[in-house]
Amino acid sequence: MQIQLANLSSRTIAPPAPGRAAAGPDIFAWTNRRGIFLPLTFILSAISWLFLGLALLAVRPEILASYHYNQYVIATTHVFTLGWITSVIMGATYQLVPVALQAKLHSVRLAWVQLGLHVIGVGGLVWNFWRWDMTKVSAFGCVLTVGAALFVYNVGRTIAKTRSWNPVAIAIAAALAWFSATVLAGLAIAVGKAGGSNFFAPLAQMHAHAHLGVIGFFLMIIVGVSLKLVPMFALSEIQNNRRATLSLVLLNAGLAMLALTILFQAIAKPLAVLIVLVGLGLYLVEMRAILRARKRRVLDLALKTFLAGLALLVPTAVVGLLLSWPTVPLNEITGRFENAYGLLAIVGVVTLAIVGMLHKILPFLIWYGAYSTEIGRSKVPTLADLYSARLQRVGLAVFGCGLGLTMAGTVLADETVVRVACVVLSASFVLFAVNVLKMLRHLVHPQTQPL
Amino acid sequence: MKTPLDEKRIFALLSQVIDPEIGCNIVDLGLVYGVQISEPKIVVRMTLTTPGCPMHETIVHAVQLVLLRIEGIEEVEVELVWDPPWNPEMMSALGREHVGLIDGQ
Repeated sequence: MQIQLANLSSRTIAPPAPGRAAAGPDIFAWTNRRGIFLPLTFILSAISWLFLGLALLAVRPEILASYHYNQYVIATTHVFTLGWITSVIMGATYQLVPVALQAKLHSVRLAWVQLGLHVIGVGGLVWNFWRWDMTKVSAFGCVLTVGAALFVYNVGRTIAKTRSWNPVAIAIAAALAWFSATVLAGLAIAVGKAGGSNFFAPLAQMHAHAHLGVIGFFLMIIVGVSLKLVPMFALSEIQNNRRATLSLVLLNAGLAMLALTILFQAIAKPLAVLIVLVGLGLYLVEMRAILRARKRRVLDLALKTFLAGLALLVPTAVVGLLLSWPTVPLNEITGRFENAYGLLAIVGVVTLAIVGMLHKILPFLIWYGAYSTEIGRSKVPTLADLYSARLQRVGLAVFGCGLGLTMAGTVLADETVVRVACVVLSASFVLFAVNVLKMLRHLVHPQTQPL
Repeated sequence: MKTPLDEKRIFALLSQVIDPEIGCNIVDLGLVYGVQISEPKIVVRMTLTTPGCPMHETIVHAVQLVLLRIEGIEEVEVELVWDPPWNPEMMSALGREHVGLIDGQ
């Protein structure tokens, strides 16, 4: 059979000059090693924030086991949302957007500047939330906002290079827009509190800010990235572009309506939640179709972990819908379920999805830094050889127990249960950290064998 | 004495290049569509499991490196093609068993 060729890439290289290979790492090696440090630094700083957040919850379990919004609740929430989740998303975005959209990152230097501003901004913000110094919260909020603007500009310029506006590009662009809205809304709340003037009810504006961040930024980026990575890892493809696009349209329209109805305490809030739910439903139907059409029979644990995070969207959405009902009273029980709702979204859906994807992204980054120049020269390990699958399995089981316990402690408002649950959750992340260290070891001591 | 250069030897060398994500070599994965030998140059026609594969440059570079080790070869050209698209039927039985792919039937 004559193979019809569509030549997309044709490259030739000449053999290295004698002795050149022995002179030290070549330019390709240096580029590879340097290229991984930006996303890796974001991700490692995010893991540090995660441990700090869990330590805070173990030390002060009343943060989850009470229904009052106070400075400690707000500080700890930002440790998880800005320190842990946003830092991971930023690092992963710098790595994945060029891959997903096949476009070079606009500026690596700008991304490093942004990392500095992000670390300073989050650190100052959290510390001053804890001390409840809203003037300084506003000041560090400004630092964070400048960093966020650089992130949006840098990734936005990268997306602008894409030739086709597919669902992945649309989702990432929407996530950037919602991230901007979230940061600006947060800054406006902080400045309003520092100056003693607020246009909206304090609880309403905090809830709107939280939903913009969690649904608009976190969920939207998960949706966008999953539409690229799940087909890539499962060896499948998007089954229905119109369905995927419609799910994004509904998610975005529903979220815009939800934020406004929360802010103005409007009666149409359940309708907005329903629109978001239909969008989510369509997205989950598309994911199911992608998985059914996959060529790779056995899904690895990383992908299963990610999909478990997506599955938790269902109970989270149900609790969200119930809490949005206008007749739900604002009492202690409702407050406990609001905490459980936030916990399920942040620690359940988003963290589980992130941990799953990190078991794909981190091995790739580290393998790329350690072995991409060795492949073809020596026998190199596969991505799966870089970490322990057993530790990963045990870590996931411990995480499941920890999440269940934390949910129970939060709903029952039991400080002892929350404290024990946070220790269990921390144990699961210690196992994760051990696996990260096992991976990082390959950067220092690559394990190659002669071909 | 110089070993004669034929497709079999080229494929044997290419089977040293793995797709690190899937954990299988590119020959058993069915990614190599053909080779053309005209010493001192070799042209390899190959594909990847998915367009936009992040291992794209690494695998292409590895193919070039492994073939440049052959005595007398001075140039290796890799033609990366997407038509026909890769599918699991292109894999060897060993590859299918190794990576747990559905047969595509």
